[in-house]
Amino acid sequence: MEIEVTGTDEYGNEAYRTLLDTIMNDVGKAQIIEKVKLVLEPEIPMFIFSLKLVNEPGIKTIADAADFRSEGSELHMSISDERYAPQILSLLWKRYGRANVDQQTRFDILVHGGDEKEVSEMVVDTGEETKKEVIGALWRVLPEGIKARHNISEGSVITILATEEIVKPEMKEEAQRVHDSMKGAV
Amino acid sequence: MFEVMMYDGGVYRSAELYEMIEDVGGVVLQSTRSSQMLTVTMSIPGEDKPAMEVLCKSIGGEVKSVPLAGTEIAVVGCTLGRHHMPHPICDIAEQLRQYGSISVVMGLARGRGKATSQISKTEMDIIEEYDAAILMLGNFKQCIEAKRDLFKDIGIPMILVTGPMPEGLDGDCEAIIPGVGRKAERMRTTEERKKLEEIADKVDEVLRSKRKILEEDPLFVHPAELKKLLEEYEPVNMSLRPAPIVLHMDGLRVKIPLGENIDYFNTLEIYGRKLTDIARITESKINDGSTLIRIKTRSEVEDMDRLNGTEQ
Repeated sequence: MEIEVTGTDEYGNEAYRTLLDTIMNDVGKAQIIEKVKLVLEPEIPMFIFSLKLVNEPGIKTIADAADFRSEGSELHMSISDERYAPQILSLLWKRYGRANVDQQTRFDILVHGGDEKEVSEMVVDTGEETKKEVIGALWRVLPEGIKARHNISEGSVITILATEEIVKPEMKEEAQRVHDSMKGAV
Repeated sequence: MFEVMMYDGGVYRSAELYEMIEDVGGVVLQSTRSSQMLTVTMSIPGEDKPAMEVLCKSIGGEVKSVPLAGTEIAVVGCTLGRHHMPHPICDIAEQLRQYGSISVVMGLARGRGKATSQISKTEMDIIEEYDAAILMLGNFKQCIEAKRDLFKDIGIPMILVTGPMPEGLDGDCEAIIPGVGRKAERMRTTEERKKLEEIADKVDEVLRSKRKILEEDPLFVHPAELKKLLEEYEPVNMSLRPAPIVLHMDGLRVKIPLGENIDYFNTLEIYGRKLTDIARITESKINDGSTLIRIKTRSEVEDMDRLNGTEQ
């Protein structure tokens, strides 16, 4: 995760770089973020936090996170992406009942009466949840008193503008400018 | 001359420790038991200190110096939100506890924001119940300077702990310690531990000067002596609250309601004087479960006697 900070308070710039790094690592989102740009102007006050994710969070089905093998009426599954294991298990329990879902090892699941096509199309992550979590983490980094916020979210770039009282048009323009520059960032 | 020290060890043979404190004429200021561990803050005559140290060692504990014993200090954050709490406020509070103080943590209701931060009269009154307060502020110099109103009118020693060093606030607080600011993790590194010690040492320094002022006109009775008397009162003795009596530099906090025990306080006598004559007794502003006793100084009591024409 690359962090670029511009601001008028030298101490604050370094402190917020550390805060962002710590909080993103704490919530486990650091690995999905490619670049972050922070604009900190406490004298206005105006804060712009813009980040670009490594990939645009899209819809993920069980097929993206597990491999299948059918044997008669039984479906053998092997989870390849551990992050989705709890959601996969919960979806299978809901559809087939706990009695028919047998978790043999940490990653191997046997579904009695499981239909491969149906299971493979089950959605484990819509992408919205990931974005929500990233925005939540950004809000946690932002100063608490800076409550008036404006979000811009397009594809893999999320930008938050925050100020204390009125969100002025020129602030929005500045946020849009930072947002656009992040869209082109590599 | 009495000296304050702390025993830190196990509960094994602690009865011998309590017995010796009583034998030398000392006072237990604070005793905290957590499972099999015990810390006892005591005030004993200076000449008995070596003997007490030998006993503490022989029962498997160690003796620590506690410069802040007998004080209650508030560590105040701008809010109780996760942006301001718990780090590093709890780290500072814990460091003060290691120095022997009773420390409490509080958050203001509307202390966040540069232009919108506020403090209420009730909050100021609550902070003023303590011997000193530490106010934890953030990472931006301008925001810290804009929050001057949060502490400038508080009548007890205020120590600011900030990120950058603010300008123009020296006259509104006793001390400013920069280099902490807002953090999202515990203060664990060597530099951070040193910073915590610096904060506690500064609090000690500030309270020493307050103590010097108090010594010029001493209290009519030492809070520890009053504590000994109050401990015999059943509601205090039977209280399950941790530290039912907390010593202050100029009095004490008793964690029993004033309303229910008003008759006791009105009739309590110490050195042949009524407690109500030599102390101001008020209900705590936090809730009605605690009573604050502020002991008057000798000159105040003499003045009162002169006015009443009952000089003794």
